[in-house]
Amino acid sequence: MSVNIDRAVEQKSSSQQLNLPFSKRWMEGLLRLSKLRRFVLLGIILLFLLQFLRMKVLVGGLTGSVALWFVRLIDVFAYVESLFASRDFTITALVSVLPVVGIYLVFGRAFCGWVCPMDFLFEMIDKMRARDQKKKIVLKIPQETGYLFIIIFLWLSALMEIPIFTNYLSHLTNFFRLLTGTFFISFNLPFEPVVLFYSGGIIMLLLSLEYIMPRLWCRSLCPVGMIYGAFNKISLLRLRFKEGECGECGLCDQVCYMGVKIAQNIDKPGLRDTNCIYCGRCVEGCETKGRLIKMKIGG
Amino acid sequence: MIELTRREFLKFSIIAPVLISNGVGCSHKKEIKEVSGPLPHIDVGGIIRPPGALSERKFRAKCIGCGVCVNVCHVMRYDAIQIMGPGDIKNLGTPYIKDMRDFPCGLCMECPKHCPTGALRKIEKENVEMGQALIDLGLCFGWNGDVCLSCSKACPLGAKVFDFYNSEWGNQPFINENCVGCGLCVKYCPLGGSAVKVVTKAKYSEIRSSYISEFRRLREMSQEERYAIVYSENMPEIMARGRIIEREYR
Repeated sequence: MSVNIDRAVEQKSSSQQLNLPFSKRWMEGLLRLSKLRRFVLLGIILLFLLQFLRMKVLVGGLTGSVALWFVRLIDVFAYVESLFASRDFTITALVSVLPVVGIYLVFGRAFCGWVCPMDFLFEMIDKMRARDQKKKIVLKIPQETGYLFIIIFLWLSALMEIPIFTNYLSHLTNFFRLLTGTFFISFNLPFEPVVLFYSGGIIMLLLSLEYIMPRLWCRSLCPVGMIYGAFNKISLLRLRFKEGECGECGLCDQVCYMGVKIAQNIDKPGLRDTNCIYCGRCVEGCETKGRLIKMKIGG
Repeated sequence: MIELTRREFLKFSIIAPVLISNGVGCSHKKEIKEVSGPLPHIDVGGIIRPPGALSERKFRAKCIGCGVCVNVCHVMRYDAIQIMGPGDIKNLGTPYIKDMRDFPCGLCMECPKHCPTGALRKIEKENVEMGQALIDLGLCFGWNGDVCLSCSKACPLGAKVFDFYNSEWGNQPFINENCVGCGLCVKYCPLGGSAVKVVTKAKYSEIRSSYISEFRRLREMSQEERYAIVYSENMPEIMARGRIIEREYR
């Protein structure tokens, strides 16, 4: 159902733009949020790939990295887990986590929609499923399961003195291990091929989970996303609505794959849902073409 | 000009790329003969971590397996640090140094500087405790009638680590306990399969007494006995391993 509406929206937008000249149409397509965020993702992955050419731009992975060879960055959940596992507070780790906290105080959960490579892979899987016309099982797991997961992982980490999720199961860690491993092995540098199989296995597991139950991982399991979702409550970036223009067509709810209830909150000035990843699909999907729903920083 | 029939030409065009790719792609692997390492009776005794690592248990708790040190090592052109595979499930994803014969640590001290978790501490080169290098006295050129000193030239800490014992046999190197275990001497030893081995500090404290007594025995030995040992036992072994002259220095 949602897929059909999705296509209808896309067709509508393309038919509206047909009378514009080609270059302008292309530029508008580029500036559409759903396209723009893919360019942001590609850019960040390319910056990470530069490290294999021995350039000191962005070294490491999305769990932990060094930007411009002097800013150390570490994922917030990885930091908390490492803190629980080692029971040892250090200034080094705190200094590395503060820039990331700063970024997410501004952008909220935008990481999931704009930077996370799994979001892109999941979208590929979604498209594949739509082509196959397979029936998808929509599992209604409450969002609070994610918080239960966080508690379980933190408890396990403290018990076994290893950051369990970040080290073994994290999609980000394993994705970047896969990148590093592929590069190292193809250039005859030392790397254990077994790591490649392990990380590939984890990524394939998540992709098959996505095939069976769409966005279950993002909506109610992924601890990294849950932590960033909590930032949504206080972040400067948020969805803002203009009063009195809603035709109550329900397109925004249909288009949103994170299951955010937008239409219910339309009379409020802004939306602070922990599941919103600022992908911009509701902004584009809305009948008013961005006049009603807007993404704004601050204000 | 060589004249080829159609059939010969086709045959050649199929075989030639295979021959070229074998010759070019695997040249590095073919040159270095696979020989057993030095001191086969002593195992490494654990995992050799990157410089500045905390004690094993604390390191495991702090390290999130993000791979910054691995990639920093690649950017610094050493490629020494690897990611542990799922064979050792407790240490899966943590960094370690495996192959010191080809990829030793250069003690550039960039990985502790950039480790975001603090699992690798920022310390001076001299205080690093990755391991202890041991010279196999039965294989070393310097201890068997040659003058080599490649290990001491490669060492980033130099005279602090190496003791030299002069005798009729030449300048004999010995690595003392100031060694940090970076493994540069392992790579630059010209003997096939290297005559130096790096073991962890814990393993070294176990075998220290037996290793030192072996060293003393050789030092105090009379010339005739020494001559007999070198030419009957050690020389055939050294000749069998051979000298690596064309080594790929990067």
